[in-house]
Amino acid sequence: MPPGISLSDFYYILPEIVLTAGALVLLVVDARLPRGSRALTWVTMAVLLATAVSLVPFRNTDVEVSQGLLAVDQFALFFKVVFLVAAAMTVLMSERYLQVEGASFGEYYFLILCSTLGMMIMAGSIDLISAFVGLETMAVSFYILAGFIKPNQRSNEAAVKYFLLGAFSLGILLYGMSILYGVSGTTNLRTMATVFVGHERNPLLVLAVILVVAGMEFKIAAVPFHMWAPDVYEGAPTPVTAFLSVGSKAASFAMLLRIFVEGLPSMDADWRLLFEMLAIVTMTVGNVAALTQSNLKRMLAYSSIAHAGYLLIGVVAGTPRGISAMLIYLLIYSFMQLGAFAVIVMMRRKDVVGDELKDLSGLYHRQPFAAFAMLVFMLSLGGIPPTAGFMGKLWLFGAAIDAGYVWLAVIGVLNSAVSLYYYLRIVVFMYLKKETIGSEPTLSPALTLTLGVAVAATLVLGVYPGLLFDLAEASARTLGASGVTAAIR
Amino acid sequence: MNHYLSLILFLPLAGALLLLFVPKQNDDAIRWIANIVAGLGFVLSIPLWFWFNPQDPAFQFVERAPWIPSIGADYFLGVDGLSTLLILLTTLMGSIAVLSSWTAITERVKEYYVFLLVLQTGMLGAFMALDFLLFFLFWELMLVPMYFLIGIWGSANRLYSAIKFFLYTLAGSVVMLLGILALYFYNHSQTGVYSFDVTLFHTLNLPENLQWWLFLAFFLGFAIKVPMFPFHTWLPDAHTDAPTAGSVILAAVMLKMGTYGFLRFSLPILPEASRAFVPMMVVLCIIGIVYGALVALAQKDWKRLVAYSSVSHMAMVMLGMFALNPVGITGSIIQQLNHGISTGALFLLVGVVYERRHTREISEYGGLSKVMPAYAAVFLLMTMSSIGLPTLNGFIGELLILQGVFVANKIWAAFAASGVVLGAAYMLYLYQRTMFGKVDNPKNEHLADLGPREFATFAPLIALAIWIGLYPAPFLRRLDTSVQHIIARVSPQYNERAASAECVSVPTPELMAASPGGQFLAAAPCGPDGKPLTPAAAGAASAVPPPVPAATTGQVSSPQAAAQGAR
Amino acid sequence: MITPTHYMLLSAALFIIGVIGVMVRRNIIIIFMSIELILNAVNINLIAYSYQLQDVIGQVFAVFVIAVAAAEAAVGLGIILAFYRNKETVNIDEMNLMRW
Repeated sequence: MPPGISLSDFYYILPEIVLTAGALVLLVVDARLPRGSRALTWVTMAVLLATAVSLVPFRNTDVEVSQGLLAVDQFALFFKVVFLVAAAMTVLMSERYLQVEGASFGEYYFLILCSTLGMMIMAGSIDLISAFVGLETMAVSFYILAGFIKPNQRSNEAAVKYFLLGAFSLGILLYGMSILYGVSGTTNLRTMATVFVGHERNPLLVLAVILVVAGMEFKIAAVPFHMWAPDVYEGAPTPVTAFLSVGSKAASFAMLLRIFVEGLPSMDADWRLLFEMLAIVTMTVGNVAALTQSNLKRMLAYSSIAHAGYLLIGVVAGTPRGISAMLIYLLIYSFMQLGAFAVIVMMRRKDVVGDELKDLSGLYHRQPFAAFAMLVFMLSLGGIPPTAGFMGKLWLFGAAIDAGYVWLAVIGVLNSAVSLYYYLRIVVFMYLKKETIGSEPTLSPALTLTLGVAVAATLVLGVYPGLLFDLAEASARTLGASGVTAAIR
Repeated sequence: MNHYLSLILFLPLAGALLLLFVPKQNDDAIRWIANIVAGLGFVLSIPLWFWFNPQDPAFQFVERAPWIPSIGADYFLGVDGLSTLLILLTTLMGSIAVLSSWTAITERVKEYYVFLLVLQTGMLGAFMALDFLLFFLFWELMLVPMYFLIGIWGSANRLYSAIKFFLYTLAGSVVMLLGILALYFYNHSQTGVYSFDVTLFHTLNLPENLQWWLFLAFFLGFAIKVPMFPFHTWLPDAHTDAPTAGSVILAAVMLKMGTYGFLRFSLPILPEASRAFVPMMVVLCIIGIVYGALVALAQKDWKRLVAYSSVSHMAMVMLGMFALNPVGITGSIIQQLNHGISTGALFLLVGVVYERRHTREISEYGGLSKVMPAYAAVFLLMTMSSIGLPTLNGFIGELLILQGVFVANKIWAAFAASGVVLGAAYMLYLYQRTMFGKVDNPKNEHLADLGPREFATFAPLIALAIWIGLYPAPFLRRLDTSVQHIIARVSPQYNERAASAECVSVPTPELMAASPGGQFLAAAPCGPDGKPLTPAAAGAASAVPPPVPAATTGQVSSPQAAAQGAR
Repeated sequence: MITPTHYMLLSAALFIIGVIGVMVRRNIIIIFMSIELILNAVNINLIAYSYQLQDVIGQVFAVFVIAVAAAEAAVGLGIILAFYRNKETVNIDEMNLMRW
């Protein structure tokens, strides 16, 4: 491998550069502006928009840059769009929350942008080192974000728990990676795949796979490595929880797919079996535990655990169809999940924390639009047409059936039927109860925009998902299209 | 007229959207708009009756446009005789349900009508869709509005009933969805085309074990909706707690989704499995008929009684269907309409007194015939229609079903007949307890009789009951090709015999009138040799489980041979 | 003769000690130290493999791990400090605001 970096490498990582520069500019602007200025929100949005625009030239590229550290392909592009959408919606809903909590904007938005940067690197990484660096860029930002409301003990506690378990899982993941490196002699995933072709099954390698799976399971909050999620989701500031449950999860799935589908296709019998069991347990435990929750954020945490289980079905299927189903579902999931959290953000007022189920009661009479939006998100999370969640689940379970995992699909659909019970509990409180708590919740323009975008996307993608299906299909095909994966299938 | 079906389909939805822009204090305006939209929906669907060509075996008024091209799902609508009748039933019952709610619903009026109209679109779409995915979309679309109708405007136990209804139906339909997906991928592996096209599925010859699994998956979805014993437990709760219009829609239309599903999907797509599962289906039906009737007999709650009578009647419908012969299936479809008319009317009738007294306890009433004579008369007529008195609609349906079942198996017919007898028992017992005797409850002394608006909700149902009872031929004629199509798939031996008209048995006037082409005469029991068949042998012929393929005709065995060749 | 295998055994031992430490200790600082132990086990592993394979990438990886671990330590100690200020304890059993 020749040393040195060519100039074209910088061209291909233009979006990352724009984002980094934007984040730095943001810090400078923050120092110049009076404290608490809302202009920062729009500066952040401008940075995200600029990053999105800088993605445009790469819509059809498929190259490796920086000597095989990063891939700039449609798979990465799809995820980058998801991250940017999620980040933008998070920023929009954060403004109100930070005002109510009396926290400062500048560092917060900076950290959101940093974590987005980390996610973008994760999605593009085809090397263990870059994947690890991206993961940590994201994770360290999130550790701080989770504890961002310093006077709040729940926020402190969430940060400590997230940090300890995150660092621990990182250790396990890295140990697995170091063994992978030792056995294959390379950290590049695509090279690794070629090295392992015809490689005999070696116990050390199986150990490495198990450790990497365990480490990644922590990040996507799959059972039995999910214990941190409910506490962190409940304690962290609501917009951070939203971003954590969407962005961090999507990025971790991107990295997981890169590692296993691109790097270890020859070990697929092992990791498929692992993921199959984990998917079943994750779906079931997530949904059953969510049934009894009375805290909205906690309930959505368990629901997000269950969703990690559904998404794992796509990994188990492992076919281009399964992967495209995951991409579709992750985009759809980010809209519905962020929308639901936006409603919870709206419920936070000076006098009410607003994250308990009973706080929602009578919402329909106070904020009909928010209640309708929440109804759409709940139905979508539960997978009821004509919402996007249905189309996502349809294709995930379809991929499972197509790949021969019928039982996995059966367990999946039964789980999604169970999940409707707790999603409908939220609806019951909003629509069927009349007594209300605390002051009138109000919608700010930014929140209205967030909710409007999320509702529109959830409904439009539910009725007319054709374009998304095409894009996801094309993106999924670039993953592992080069090299071994295709040869093995 | 390319978009005729779409027009019918989306009119209620457009009405619902329109309602969203009406200020919510404006109750009367909302009621007027909802009634006009629903009434217009019915009027708009009437030409369907005249423009539908009963001779044309293909689906009519077809609309097709790509919907999700990458997975081969189409926006594909079309109707045959079966769906034409059910669509007309839906638009009629929909407008009646809207009209009947005028005074019954006084709070959250706007949402109520919005949900009712969205529900209407969902039901119409399910009957029109010829794309399986589209069908499923509409099928699930019905759940949410109904959930709210029960949950918000229902009576005492509404939350429990609403969630029970929702989860039951959902659990069944998600399993059905997997069945749809399995069919979709199998179809691709055979034909190389990704498609949810139902007409395409109708021509597939699936391997037998796949058929079994698919049948079970579809069965779960449809049987819960029908509802068949033992999946019926959501029904009494949902009916009892739903507002009147909800019960009417639920009984008259939504239960038909299940039977429609069997007729449109299970039987023609999975013929071998349908034949194989006849024993199981028949046993469940017979249990349903007898059990439903007996439980109805013991009810103290007026609405619950009608709900259990639904269980019994729908089991009868299913029994007729799984006789798997033309007469039985025709009877089953006619009886679906009849059930919609008479049970819908019975729920409306309960609603009328409930609105006045706010109780459904049968013991609270008595002697109403003296206080409300017009009401008593309508009730009597509908009771008779439900029992199956000749000259009313119920008779035609039950007669055809019994005839079809008798041909298949005498014992089943005996059980079915017992259901009819029990039906008479519980309905007359109900009538006696509520209408006759002294007015011993002072609260009942000054109840107002049916008002003009209320009478308007019953008038079309009465007219239909008498029309079907006296002259069912127009209905039967429209069903001809649909039934033939199903029979050609599931019991091909009947079509073989269509040529030989020598074996004619028990032709009823209705059948003679109904079959200008003479199919029904030929469809009567005949042996494979063209001689009249003894009922027992006929039963064996139509109920032979396919492990030993009924090799009486070439048509039964050849698809299997083809399927084996394909494997 | 000390071979790479010995280093790997050392690394495995450190890893296991670290994992056990995370699981049984109740003091947040000690848990954090155990995590650092795991990361150092990773570093030893990487360098041993790097030596065995005569490949420099492993050492590069180790440098990255060290750098990131430093960043993580800075952030982590800050978080623990914030927690300590509010709660006056670093015992993990007293993190009990949120439960099932």
